[in-house]
Amino acid sequence: MTELERLRRQIQSVMGELRYLTRLLSVVRDPPTKQLALQQLQSQIGYLTFLIGLLGERATLAESAGRSGQAQGQGRAGAMAAPPAVQRLPSEAEPSAPPTPPTRTFTPAELATFTGRNGKPAYVAVGGTVYDVTNNRAWSLATHFGLQAGRDLTAEFASCHGAQQWILGTLRPVGRLA
Amino acid sequence: MSNVLPPEPMDNESIAKRLLDEARARAKAGNLPRKRLVWLELTGCSGNIISLMNGFHPDLEYAITEMVDLVYSNSLMAAEGEAAIERLMATLDEEFILAVEGAVALRDEGRYTVIGRYRGEPLTALKAAQLLGEKATHVIAVGACAVDGGPSAAHPNLAQCVGLSDVVKRPLIKLPGCPCHPDWFLGTLAHLLMYGEPKLDDLRRPLLFYSTLIHDRCPRRPFFDQGIFAETLEDPTCLFKLGCRGPVTRVDCPTRLWNGHINWPIGASTCIGCSQFGFPDRMAPFVSFDATREVT
Repeated sequence: MTELERLRRQIQSVMGELRYLTRLLSVVRDPPTKQLALQQLQSQIGYLTFLIGLLGERATLAESAGRSGQAQGQGRAGAMAAPPAVQRLPSEAEPSAPPTPPTRTFTPAELATFTGRNGKPAYVAVGGTVYDVTNNRAWSLATHFGLQAGRDLTAEFASCHGAQQWILGTLRPVGRLA
Repeated sequence: MSNVLPPEPMDNESIAKRLLDEARARAKAGNLPRKRLVWLELTGCSGNIISLMNGFHPDLEYAITEMVDLVYSNSLMAAEGEAAIERLMATLDEEFILAVEGAVALRDEGRYTVIGRYRGEPLTALKAAQLLGEKATHVIAVGACAVDGGPSAAHPNLAQCVGLSDVVKRPLIKLPGCPCHPDWFLGTLAHLLMYGEPKLDDLRRPLLFYSTLIHDRCPRRPFFDQGIFAETLEDPTCLFKLGCRGPVTRVDCPTRLWNGHINWPIGASTCIGCSQFGFPDRMAPFVSFDATREVT
């Protein structure tokens, strides 16, 4: 994941630059220096936008590479040569870019292997969607009030959190239940 | 312009402290009418009254000499046998506050827990809870067993133990915890004596003690936020992966601390969620290395 690390460091340094430039702008008086600083600010923002887009692509790539290797994912990463002055996110330019979560279909038997034990992540299914609760604070040891991960918990969720559907919005979906 | 005083701190600890200071002041001034308190021990381990004896500012001695008149307590009273039960029954004709610890065993008409003999007949926990529960001015369920069955009602629950609210059909004040912290009980009692029933949440627990999650006050929280998890109990980092129930338990342990306000479970091991409903079955497993085990 050194690629990701490098990206992160780049983003951090750009943020540092942005902070410096905004402070500079607040103290500088003469117009030429102000203009220069503004131009630099613009270009740094553009670069940051590009980096964020790249980061998004990397994250999607990491997930799709782990399952069924999609060749188009690699191709898209190669075509990521957007100039720093571009204002729109690179992913917006391509309608086939996936802002939606990856949709892998789980059979109940497959889901049952994701118990959170022995290195496996913890997944639960509610209402046909499979969510990753591995690092969810309410799911220590992949258990929640006596419920085990790796199962379809639609009925249990409805009986206890039926009036709190927003809870599902805080979970990370990883696929659908077959 | 009149004097504007600085705002008083409004965190739970300060409120509880002001409460207890006022109780002390009023008792001294003689403004605190000493109500009678009946402490019933039913199907439990007596952990709650032992915990009460660990009370510190105020302590039990202060509570029973200045705050209330403890008329019946299985463990603490001097009277024995028939005399003790007679005293208990005599209280039915007086005004009293009832504090109950321990669950109620239902099997065989409650004969699995007999707390004494009254006029030749065994007095079961079930009978005592029903009789006293309907006559008391206030009923406080102290400890996990009285609140929802707790360890007494853990699988397979052969004696068919239930929480007090299944037997005493009236609004109770519930103080879960295994055991209940002495401050939680004495603070609730102080509030009850001076101002009436404290503000309760949906589960009838005083908001004064049972509002914030342990997770939100935990000193190890920065490790959780950064994703640095402990792999053994000796690590000082977040114990989430070992089974800590701090994130689902609403109580003030991180700030109030135990044993005279000096230590608490997460200082050495995981939180087992003892004051959350469903303890212990729904809080299990308490500590497990399944999630941190290296996959070979």
